[in-house]
Amino acid sequence: MRLETRKLLDKSFSGMGLIAIAIMAAALVLILSPIIWRGSKAFVFKGTIEHRRVMLEQYQRGNSERFTAEMAKATEARAPVYEMMAAFNAELKEMDRAKRRDYKDPYREVEKAVSVLLGPKPGDRTPVLLRQQYGQTRWDRALVKLHEALYSADWDYSNTDAMGVLVETPRANAFKGTKLEPLFDYLENHLDEMLRPKTTFYWQFITDTSKDSHFFGGIWPEVLGTLYLTLGAMIFAVPMGVIAAIYLCEYAREGRVVSFLRICISTLAGVPSIVFGLFGLAFFLNTIHVSDSKSVLAGSLTLSLLILPTIIRSSEEAILAVPRAYKEAALGLGAGRWHTILTVILPAALPGILTGVVISMGRAAGETAPIIFTAAVSVGAPLKLWETLSQPTPALPWNIYNLCTEHEAVDEIRHVQYGMVFTLVAIVLLLNLFAILMRARISKKLRG
Amino acid sequence: MRANANTSLIMSTAASRRLYFGALLGKSLLFLITSLSTLAVFFIFYFILKDAIPFFKLEGFKEFFTSTRWYPSGHPAEFGALPIFAGTGLVTLGAVVVAVPLGIAAAVCLSDLLPFNVRQIVKPVIEILAAIPSVAYGFFALVVFAPLLQNHGGAILAAGAWLVLGPILVLMVVVLGDLLLDKLRAIKLSPRTLGMVVFPILGTLAFTFLYRLSAHLGGIEISSGTNALNVAVILGIMALPTVVSVSEDALQAAGRELREGSYALGATRAETIIKTIIPASISGILTAVILGVMRAIGETMVVWMASGNAASMPTPWYNVLQPVRTLTATIAGDMGEADHVTGSARFHVLFAMAFCLLAFSFTMNLVSELIVKRSRKKLGK
Repeated sequence: MRLETRKLLDKSFSGMGLIAIAIMAAALVLILSPIIWRGSKAFVFKGTIEHRRVMLEQYQRGNSERFTAEMAKATEARAPVYEMMAAFNAELKEMDRAKRRDYKDPYREVEKAVSVLLGPKPGDRTPVLLRQQYGQTRWDRALVKLHEALYSADWDYSNTDAMGVLVETPRANAFKGTKLEPLFDYLENHLDEMLRPKTTFYWQFITDTSKDSHFFGGIWPEVLGTLYLTLGAMIFAVPMGVIAAIYLCEYAREGRVVSFLRICISTLAGVPSIVFGLFGLAFFLNTIHVSDSKSVLAGSLTLSLLILPTIIRSSEEAILAVPRAYKEAALGLGAGRWHTILTVILPAALPGILTGVVISMGRAAGETAPIIFTAAVSVGAPLKLWETLSQPTPALPWNIYNLCTEHEAVDEIRHVQYGMVFTLVAIVLLLNLFAILMRARISKKLRG
Repeated sequence: MRANANTSLIMSTAASRRLYFGALLGKSLLFLITSLSTLAVFFIFYFILKDAIPFFKLEGFKEFFTSTRWYPSGHPAEFGALPIFAGTGLVTLGAVVVAVPLGIAAAVCLSDLLPFNVRQIVKPVIEILAAIPSVAYGFFALVVFAPLLQNHGGAILAAGAWLVLGPILVLMVVVLGDLLLDKLRAIKLSPRTLGMVVFPILGTLAFTFLYRLSAHLGGIEISSGTNALNVAVILGIMALPTVVSVSEDALQAAGRELREGSYALGATRAETIIKTIIPASISGILTAVILGVMRAIGETMVVWMASGNAASMPTPWYNVLQPVRTLTATIAGDMGEADHVTGSARFHVLFAMAFCLLAFSFTMNLVSELIVKRSRKKLGK
């Protein structure tokens, strides 16, 4: 091969490595940016007056006098809509039967679309479902619903070879010449007066309970459940893991028993998380009955097994990183072995151990598979501390799954799903950031 | 102990014995707690196997491993898990195809090419990729990636082909052209004139190939965005941090002397890495690949949310544009329904699947331990 070619190959080899790194970084950005961007919209968004009404009526939050004044303005803007509908109703009564039948279904759809947009018509009976008692609380959703009110969507399957094609026709066409026709223009042009969008900072999204299966409110039960599960797992795993690490580093002599222990620990680290879930179900719940149903306790126990190997390994590393001189000095001063471990080695290794603990906290907070069968439920109230021994809880990872696959109105509550993912990712990343910073401090200290 | 030291420096026999037994007691207590993790492994095997055996007793092995009909709620129920094994295999293979070349290239870059301070920036990127919860990956796959694939599938595939094959083909043209020039030395023409002929021909060939391939891919319509391709890509990204960090450790462990020896013989950096460093650290890289496979095969949430969960054989076997179903997703998805009928085959079949997963990961673990042990012996460390 010519020298130029070899040099070129060398350069392109470096280029490939750089491309790989770039792809990795790009993947991270591509995955995180929609989560952060759309997740933050669960907290900061254009809230309509209906949002403020929900806050006032359901969460007793906000200034009721100012709200009443604002609502009066909105009602004033909405009045023409209902007047037009009343006028059309009157017109409908005078029509002959056949015509009336033609208008019946389209008009019902319009009525429904308006009530979805603005809330139930004044004077109507209050609907049973909470989600139907209010109009659109978010301006972005309101625009979507406005579009649905203005256009009727039909699927055209006339070409049987291809997929169906969406055909949208303005609803106004159906009502040409009637008193309802101007309604559509009015809706389109006066929506902001009727809903009065305002940039809202809804930080209580984290601390509010949810109403009507996440149509309104926040995610507190899920956040609290995740905290319980994570801390519970830590309570079991940290002492066990640290003690095991101390034994492996300070007491055990390398031999058959220890290498067997190590194989077991690495096997435990390799067990798929769903298998931990099944084991938790079969052992903690069905065999030793730590609780009658799924519970936070059973979930924490299962999670603690999952993170045990991580904690053992990182604690071992931290203990081994303590300079030998520390230990020898302590022993030389006449301290016993146990005394040396407690007062010299552990304090010196503590930051390293904590780093591992914090990272595995993030792991425990984000794991879903082990808690599906042992701890998680889709809907629930925030638990009191003692209820964790016997009650299942909603938890962020499980409810993210549940809301984006099994919820009855997946598209309506995208912002809640994104908000949950954002919160979970933020928790995990903050924990990891903390660990990274701590590690940087340790390595600085060790370098002197 | 402190009290002893104050009164007299010489310890009485009784005190010494007390101390000895105390230490022994403490040590055995520590050993007991440590062996709890061992116990956990045994318990996991025992309890999974305990609930898996009734299935094999009821239904036997043959149907489970060879039949392609998976109708656990039918009458009579059929438990042919072959499509599920195939789906798991396909998804894992896809993840390996994504993660291994990318991961090894990134590891080489990290260990041999990047300066120290850039490495300090790249490392957290890997850590964050590893830290993002699997359900967040699943959410991305389902809510962002799947609609993209469904609506612009052809364009994405074509762009992917250009991105992946483009650089590789350019490189191949250069190398092949060079080799050809070497071979054609017999012809009495200057290398420059020959190069003017050889390189354009090869370049056109490569370009035509790529163009036709991407045109073909661009014409593909993906009927469902939740398919094996989607999951394989996301799983590949999830397995990437494992592959990168483990193989980077292996590459670093190969040591300075090897590298310097190779440079001294006149090799370029690429030749050093490919011909010396990678062969020297192949055991570590294999371990990295195995760990990556384990990560991909044991992952639940992403496949459950975004693989489409259709228990049908992919046809042909490499068809990644079809929805598939994996072992983990079946366990997670069916347990909710099977739980009400604890004791039936439908419940126990999930444990049988879990046992297969467990056995696989256990074997893989042992294999990687063996590889490490053997290479240590070989290197004499």
